[in-house]
Amino acid sequence: MATGFWSSTHYKRWIVDRATLRQARATDMRYVGDPEYFIHLSLFFANVITKLGKKLAFRQRVIATAIVFFRRFYLKNSYCETDPFIVIAACCYVAGKAEESPCHIKNITAEARLLFSQQPYGVKNFSVDNSKLAEMEFYLVADLECDLTVFHPYRTLMSLCRKEGSNESQTEAGEVGVGIDDGPRYWGTGEGQLELPDEALQLAWSIINDTYRSDLCLLYPPHLLAIIALYLTLALHTPTKELIMQKSQLSPSDDSHVSPRRSSRQASASSFGSKKPQDFIGFFAGLNVSMPLIATIAQQMISLYSIWERYKEDVDTSDTARSAFCTQTNSPYSATTQGTGHTLAEGRSASHSRVGTPVVETPDDIRKVDGLSVVTPATLVQTLTRMRENRLSDLARHSTGGRPVVINKMLERAQAAG
Amino acid sequence: MSPGLHARLPEPEVDGITRPSSPTTSPKELYAIVSQVGEGTFGKVYKARNTMTNVHVALKRIRMESEKDGFPVTAMREIKLLQSLRHQNVVRLFEMMVSNGSVFMVFEYMDHDLTGVLSQTQFAFSEANLKSLCGQMLAGLAYLHHKGVIHRDIKGSNILINNRGELKLADFGLARFYQKRRRTDYTNRVITLWYRPPELLFGATVYGPEVDMWSAGCIMLELFTKKPVFQGNDEIHQLEVIYRVFGTPTPERWQEITELPWYELVKPKEVILNHFRELFRRWLSPAALDLAEQLLTYDPAKRVTAIQALEAPYFKVEQPPPELPVGLSSLEGEWHELETKRERARKRRKLENALQEHPI
Repeated sequence: MATGFWSSTHYKRWIVDRATLRQARATDMRYVGDPEYFIHLSLFFANVITKLGKKLAFRQRVIATAIVFFRRFYLKNSYCETDPFIVIAACCYVAGKAEESPCHIKNITAEARLLFSQQPYGVKNFSVDNSKLAEMEFYLVADLECDLTVFHPYRTLMSLCRKEGSNESQTEAGEVGVGIDDGPRYWGTGEGQLELPDEALQLAWSIINDTYRSDLCLLYPPHLLAIIALYLTLALHTPTKELIMQKSQLSPSDDSHVSPRRSSRQASASSFGSKKPQDFIGFFAGLNVSMPLIATIAQQMISLYSIWERYKEDVDTSDTARSAFCTQTNSPYSATTQGTGHTLAEGRSASHSRVGTPVVETPDDIRKVDGLSVVTPATLVQTLTRMRENRLSDLARHSTGGRPVVINKMLERAQAAG
Repeated sequence: MSPGLHARLPEPEVDGITRPSSPTTSPKELYAIVSQVGEGTFGKVYKARNTMTNVHVALKRIRMESEKDGFPVTAMREIKLLQSLRHQNVVRLFEMMVSNGSVFMVFEYMDHDLTGVLSQTQFAFSEANLKSLCGQMLAGLAYLHHKGVIHRDIKGSNILINNRGELKLADFGLARFYQKRRRTDYTNRVITLWYRPPELLFGATVYGPEVDMWSAGCIMLELFTKKPVFQGNDEIHQLEVIYRVFGTPTPERWQEITELPWYELVKPKEVILNHFRELFRRWLSPAALDLAEQLLTYDPAKRVTAIQALEAPYFKVEQPPPELPVGLSSLEGEWHELETKRERARKRRKLENALQEHPI
């Protein structure tokens, strides 16, 4: 974590509690019907932003920033009074500029228009006029209070662990604080980094991507989310755990049995190379963070994965860890993360006993998945349209009755943004 | 521009942890515009008074209507950078404010800028005052470079001075974060021509904080001579002007020069000797000459860093010790480059009118 976090606007202004979140949702809540749709909408919008971001060739960090901007905007606005699609386009536009990956406004308008016109979004009236996007950008920047610096868990992850066999720590250009805090982690034991196989690191990275598909990025500081990702990877994902155990057992044995890559690393005489298996429990204990809090957030993450089971959307699975924590074993991604031949179902049932939470296999969930109420992007788009129509007609009814100007302004704004 | 501005979210600045759960949005007329004091990279700068505290602030307006690309990326950079910086020699951004379709940056108010204050004749700086100004500028740069920020536009009008004699670096529209260990490509088109270092004039795109140090050297000389030292008309001429003072660069003085992109295009045609010391002896003390020469070293790798410059004998050994130019508080008027320019334009018009009326 960059040293600037504790003095940043991210920490001071934009980490909120659940009550604030509920308050921000109050208007939408009146129109949404099923409250669980909120969780699906969070997921849905994050996926839309990710899709648009990829079309614009954004790095993961830029996409993550765009999602955070989107979430922050909806702490002050409601879905039913705005057009989330133009907000998404504006979030991507601002994130590109804020993260030193600027993208031309014409390009964003064109890509957004194309993407949103497709099914399931079916947005027919996305404006070709760049000035509409520029206008929305202004509202967005104003509601973000010009706080454009966002911290992400990726950096913490990369400072906590490193890829097996590499000593490089990776940072990206244009990042706040790059180059000033290369010293030992001040909040850890300073004992060095955890060394993980590529697959494990990839899984942790994907779990971080998934935290953005919920409101967790508004509730907790990024370094905690990085630790959650590591924790879930190591403690709950059995294939990864097994993989690490195997490697750890191999590690102290003589060099003739191990692969050339490992031995070359050991030969390079890093202080890390020739030593006993890594002490994972000690590592977490040394992290000077509240482990009960970590466990709580981890549970929230797990329950998210289970709620997502109800949600069906065709997305590029390369950036999510979802399949590693759900029952579907047919995804190509789960096959690659498995590695050791254990089924994912086993991995998950192992997790039950660990965390002590009923995760997915309650009869209730199965019934839903089995077809009673599967949520799809189309359902959500319909819900959004209905919410907005109902809201507008309510506003129209109220405004004739002499409601405060604020409401009228909102209405204008909703229309302007649309 | 209406004098009364509706400020949104005037959140009090409190050090430490303040975490309002949901920001309030009560609009009130918080700032009253007093006058225009400058023209920034992306909008006008006004002097304004906080109607509640009566404290003066500088409002920098970010114009968006004229921008086809919406919120200017330079403004976004400046906001992000300033929000992460806090130093006595870096201008302080109090808050951001949205009003009438414009975004305003609210800065602490600074009475003068360096260009303006050097052009006035009421108040003469002592040797100790000049040393203080030079030291404050270097302290600001040392902080920026420590934070991994290159300013990339150090010049007289971006160096602000208040009536207490405090100097602060401003206008971060061209600044950016750089990576200390890995050098990457940046745009070459930065820094106002007169303050641009030779490596940029030779087309370098891989550079670091040394570019600011050259500009700092130019400013240091300007403190003593009261006007910009290298006033080139274009890139080629700029190099010639520098050669006239420091001589032409040789491979001994600057090894990598031949590898720079435009070397073959703009390389010196004849050999000129270094005349720096003879030219500037009458303005600068021996230790000041030494430091200026180290700042204005051709080879960026050999150029002194801000931290090293602060340890120079000029500051640590040679008399007199630095002294804040507190006498500025008695100075009448406020001196910014803008007024200096206006004054000059007014005189020119007067002269032209006089010439029209009484042709020679």
